[in-house]
Amino acid sequence: MDNEEAIDRPETQAINWLASVTGDVHFWVPTVVLIGGLLLLRWVS
Amino acid sequence: MGQLSSAAPASGTPGAPLAPGRVRALQRVGVLCGIAAGAWLGAAEVPTKLVTTGISPVLISFLMVAGVFLGRWSLPAIMRGTSGIRADIAEAPHLVIWAIIAGCLWSVANTLTIFAIRDLGLSVAFPLWNTNAIIGIVWGVLFFRELHHAGWRRWSAVCGGALVMFLGGMLLARASSSQIASHVASRGLAAALGAGVLWGTMYIPYRKAYLSGMNPLSFVSFFTIGELGMMTALALAYMGGPRSLYRQVTGAENVLFWLLAAGFVWVIGDIFQQYAVKYVGVSRGIPISNSNQLWGLLWGAVAFGEFRGWQHGAVAGAVWGSLLMALGLAAISFSVADNSEYLKWMEAAERERRRYGIDIEFVRSGMEGRASIPQQRRTWLDWLLVAVATGAFVWTGARAHWPAIALNGTSAIVLLLLCLLLLAACVAALWKVTRFN
Repeated sequence: MDNEEAIDRPETQAINWLASVTGDVHFWVPTVVLIGGLLLLRWVS
Repeated sequence: MGQLSSAAPASGTPGAPLAPGRVRALQRVGVLCGIAAGAWLGAAEVPTKLVTTGISPVLISFLMVAGVFLGRWSLPAIMRGTSGIRADIAEAPHLVIWAIIAGCLWSVANTLTIFAIRDLGLSVAFPLWNTNAIIGIVWGVLFFRELHHAGWRRWSAVCGGALVMFLGGMLLARASSSQIASHVASRGLAAALGAGVLWGTMYIPYRKAYLSGMNPLSFVSFFTIGELGMMTALALAYMGGPRSLYRQVTGAENVLFWLLAAGFVWVIGDIFQQYAVKYVGVSRGIPISNSNQLWGLLWGAVAFGEFRGWQHGAVAGAVWGSLLMALGLAAISFSVADNSEYLKWMEAAERERRRYGIDIEFVRSGMEGRASIPQQRRTWLDWLLVAVATGAFVWTGARAHWPAIALNGTSAIVLLLLCLLLLAACVAALWKVTRFN
């Protein structure tokens, strides 16, 4: 079975989506910006 | 395996691109939503003037977010029903995480803007945090293939339009700042620019959700959990714990209604902004909805009489700034994406679909503004949510007093009517073209 087919299987999706989230650069960019924002808020307040 | 980059039209024929007429219709709706978002987001900033009456910025932000929470659950409950929201989330459960992160970003940014208003004033702070459009364009191009294959004309129109809008905003800020007594504090500047970066980055989760086929009404319902959670944590941390927070909330009883209402008005603007991002992308949707600065200026100038006593040069600067912003807005609005650019969006959508194993029909129908899930019936939970929100507004409204801020009633009514007109036009267009999908 190739990787493409494995991704399409529902059970594989259910197990892997959390790993997919943490391995996605789209997750880390907002997270880092959020932490920066909290530090900035601490400074301005 | 189906590929979204060779997207099918509504009929579901694989391999055929989306009909150009449909692309144009969706783009027109997106632009209209962006314009309406500007009007409603601008109106929502008005109650933040309460910061000038001595209410804590964190308390204002907390109460606005409480109003936002009421709006973000009651409006989608009326328009779509919680069963529909549940069905959407079941198709792409990973988006709950992004919705919550986006909500947290919004809360921190909103709190920063109130500190910025306190230090710089509304008219100076506004254009500074509106740099979020530039950040949004950068993320849109880098992560979601926006403006790829767009051609130099569309690139120039969008980037040039955003730049002209930014310059117009700076001109407005200069005109305003020359008329206010307070000096530009570095902390206020950092707060306003920081809010711009946070809001600009918040569009990453937005775009991700809509490339995955998510309905904006479903996304905002989970977005607000992050929003209220983060804001409650901030309020508890910055206001000395639950007892102190409760004391300050009850102490602000007279203005509770206005702040909750501001949050509710924000929700309407934000829902339109979500549809704008969905149908014209971050790089177009956000600059258009950033016309909220023009609306903020209109409210300030005609409803609150902020121009009174201004020198002729300053008024001329404000007018030129407004004209530049309108020009930039027009350039972006007329630069609609063609089919080749739309196919690049589909490629970005395909990345999401494959990475998270989302159903191809769910993604495709979402991108095309069609329903993949049949309309759900309203349940007792929907009516309960509407009743709680209505009860909260009636209860606080009965105790509300107009704060000690001068307001020109006639101008305010005219501006409200304009907002309502845009609301009606947008709702009609969204219903006709997408059935709120």
